[in-house]
Amino acid sequence: MFSKLSVILTVLLAATACTKKNEAPDNSITFPLRANVKGLDPLRDDNEFSFEPIGLVNESLLQYNYLKRPMVVEPLLAEAMPEVSKDGLTHTFKIRKGVRFNDDAAFPGGKGREMTVKDFVYSWKRIADAKNSSDGWWIFDGKIKGFNEWREKIGKGEATYDTPVEGLETPDDYTLKIHLTQPYFQLYYVLTMGYSAVVPKEAVDKYGAEFLNHPVGTGPYMFESWIRNNKITLTKNPTWHGGTYPTEGEPGDKEKGLLADAGKPLPFADKVIFLEIVEDQPRWLNFLKGITDASEIPKDNFDKAVKKSGDLQDDLAAKGFNLQTFLDQEVVYISFNMDDPIVGKNANLRHALSLAFDQATALTKFYNDRGIFAQSPIAPGMDGYDPEFKNPYKEYNIEKAKEYLKKAGYPDGKGLPVIEYSESSGSTGRQSSEYLQQQWEKIGVKVNIAQNTWPQFTERIKHKKAQVFGIAWGADYPDAQNMMQLLYGPNESPGPNNANFKNKEFDGLYEKTLKMPPGPERTALYKKMRDIFVDQQPWIPTIHRKGFIISQGWINNIKRSKMIPAMFKYLRVDLDKKKELKAKL
Amino acid sequence: MLKYIGRRSLYSIPILFGVTLVMFLLFNVAGGDPAGQAAGRYASAKQIEEVRHQMGLDKSLVMQYFDLLGQIFTLDFGSSWSSKQPVSRLLADGIGPTMSVSVPAFLLSLLINVPLGLLVAYRRASLFDKGMVVTCLAMLSISSVVYVLAGQYVLAYKFGIFPVSGWDPDILGRFHYTALPVLILLVLFLGGDLLFFRTVFLEEMHQDYVRTARSKGVSEGVILFKHILRNALVSIITLVALEVPFLIVGSILIESYFGIPGVGNLVVTAIQEADFPVIKAMTILSAVVYIFFQLVSDVLSALVDPKIRLE
Repeated sequence: MFSKLSVILTVLLAATACTKKNEAPDNSITFPLRANVKGLDPLRDDNEFSFEPIGLVNESLLQYNYLKRPMVVEPLLAEAMPEVSKDGLTHTFKIRKGVRFNDDAAFPGGKGREMTVKDFVYSWKRIADAKNSSDGWWIFDGKIKGFNEWREKIGKGEATYDTPVEGLETPDDYTLKIHLTQPYFQLYYVLTMGYSAVVPKEAVDKYGAEFLNHPVGTGPYMFESWIRNNKITLTKNPTWHGGTYPTEGEPGDKEKGLLADAGKPLPFADKVIFLEIVEDQPRWLNFLKGITDASEIPKDNFDKAVKKSGDLQDDLAAKGFNLQTFLDQEVVYISFNMDDPIVGKNANLRHALSLAFDQATALTKFYNDRGIFAQSPIAPGMDGYDPEFKNPYKEYNIEKAKEYLKKAGYPDGKGLPVIEYSESSGSTGRQSSEYLQQQWEKIGVKVNIAQNTWPQFTERIKHKKAQVFGIAWGADYPDAQNMMQLLYGPNESPGPNNANFKNKEFDGLYEKTLKMPPGPERTALYKKMRDIFVDQQPWIPTIHRKGFIISQGWINNIKRSKMIPAMFKYLRVDLDKKKELKAKL
Repeated sequence: MLKYIGRRSLYSIPILFGVTLVMFLLFNVAGGDPAGQAAGRYASAKQIEEVRHQMGLDKSLVMQYFDLLGQIFTLDFGSSWSSKQPVSRLLADGIGPTMSVSVPAFLLSLLINVPLGLLVAYRRASLFDKGMVVTCLAMLSISSVVYVLAGQYVLAYKFGIFPVSGWDPDILGRFHYTALPVLILLVLFLGGDLLFFRTVFLEEMHQDYVRTARSKGVSEGVILFKHILRNALVSIITLVALEVPFLIVGSILIESYFGIPGVGNLVVTAIQEADFPVIKAMTILSAVVYIFFQLVSDVLSALVDPKIRLE
């Protein structure tokens, strides 16, 4: 009896498995995210997984041009780029008229109301309000007149959201004057970020803590559903204020077909679906099956997908897949704790360790050659990046390394205590740490690897307990300042200067650049700062990672940047091609 | 019996107390600094302190521990530090999907393993028995990740019998997505459980009552399914009781590979992000479920076997 029952159940199971369910509508785009999303409130725009759905529902005053590189800022909810006072301290934004929040039960009659500048002031106050614990406060911290004071007061119950902030002036519903405490040339970059996006107070009030699960905004897509840890569905917003595909890009875009839709109204797809797939294999297989429209290529599948030349393997190309590569504006590096009495006080020792590190082999072994060697903190595409510059301590030269080790007072490593290298647990992390250990042993330097969970790892760094550690920084905006602040003395741990590097000349130059508009003079100072960095070597910059995205042949207009959240509004599905190619999968 | 249940319930209090203490110490000694993590990468020392205050981590460890006990007493574990959602809601949302996979796999495994275990034991030392033992040992020695990777690649990708991964909130629709994870879990249950049942049944087969029944001419079917099975029930109940907590907590591996938005998936994310409210709720829940089903097992064993007395 038991066996019969089990056979019946198994047959039922198989029968239901074969039923086709939840086929995505044709004109939709399905994209996998490799981590679970924490929330969809712009306050939580703190990782690359939340940021894409947030960027489609909630918009900011400004955005990056989708195609131009280096990145160019242009208006989004602003009518035009702002007027700036002569002293650079007042920026006057005029916002678009007639922009409505998407229809939602939070509004009377369910009809989204018109957005005004007061909504921006409200939204930014939410970031400033410490009880919302947004980690996006840094974008305004100390920059806008009276804003820090308002934050202090609301924390003590001495202010409300109706209490005005001196630096956020709203003379009428469509004009916003931002009064800065000091020149802030990164302002326009941060006003493209999800943190600065506008949200309606009615929806925040109605949904309360649930607003995180039910975003309302002015974007090209509106929220439809979210099964936590599984799937987010966004649907085209019928009341969107509109926008068109860019008509200009960088050289080569036209040849790649990226300007074929120039001037056409956006967005193209009816729905955008994000699948939260944390494991590599299902993410990859779902792409190969045509369930998802694009995917990053997992490390273990990379060689099977991409040739040494950088082209797609023939079997994948035959299926019509396309491959895009892009350089992330980020740097991976090995950091020294400059407060440490051994590694922090001896530049020759740091040079020796840098010279003894074979980065070419590391790039192949651990990154499948997906990146370029980093010579300094400044990433490609940033002001001050010089592709010709070669860091003299970045060559792999064991003999030279030994010389520097001798100069450091540790000939052949004699007398040097064991160095502790901290890493965050994970198979790749462990392998690359062991590789580093072997490399440095060649010059007589002994390394002990300290494995940590990610929370332990960050704690060790924040409390200056890690002696040497491997870490990376992804830029928040395409300005070298975002990299240089990682080396600015007053930003030492627990701030972003994890190396605890303190150099008066460097700090002075950094402060000077903050007051300078982009231009050759500022670039020259960035290069000077780079040279101080090279001389002192608080880090060994290793690589700038290259991103690879593979897409189905029916998806057009992919040009990825981790700074552009709303890529999906530009993507077009070729329905005829989809029908044809899907049959091959 | 009621007296026994009452006494066992009281015994569970110090066990739970111990669990909370170990968990609390582990989290506070080895768990990193959640405030530093939550405050973000630009946070200053002052901002980290603000976040620490909001999280209640600036209180003394003793006070934090009492807060934890208070939460257990009121069954209110607050909100997740990571997703800001009430923990109770996250758990409630996760238990359904987890059980959609774990319960069918477990029931199917019982339906298959019990009769198969009987059969294997009955044909002891035959080629069939030896083959099954070797197969089970081989199955046990292969990592569960291999089953998941191979099942997903061969059955879902190559043959297209199942979807690679996914989920449907609709109860009927979800079978489409849970079929393969159920099948793999079933295979994972097979090796160990079958060997266990075989051993249990073999022990029973050598008992005097079996010899007596045979000498009286009772048919083998009746001996197997009526006498042996009934006498082996205590062991079966014990195994079931031990495995029930797993049905609720779920399989981390299966859920993360198949995109099942269950409790296992929730636990992985919570551990990765040092989300203590979720971790503590899960730990307490697991301990309570485990203790409860141990008690259920004892009571049921006494009911099916009059030789067992609850003292």
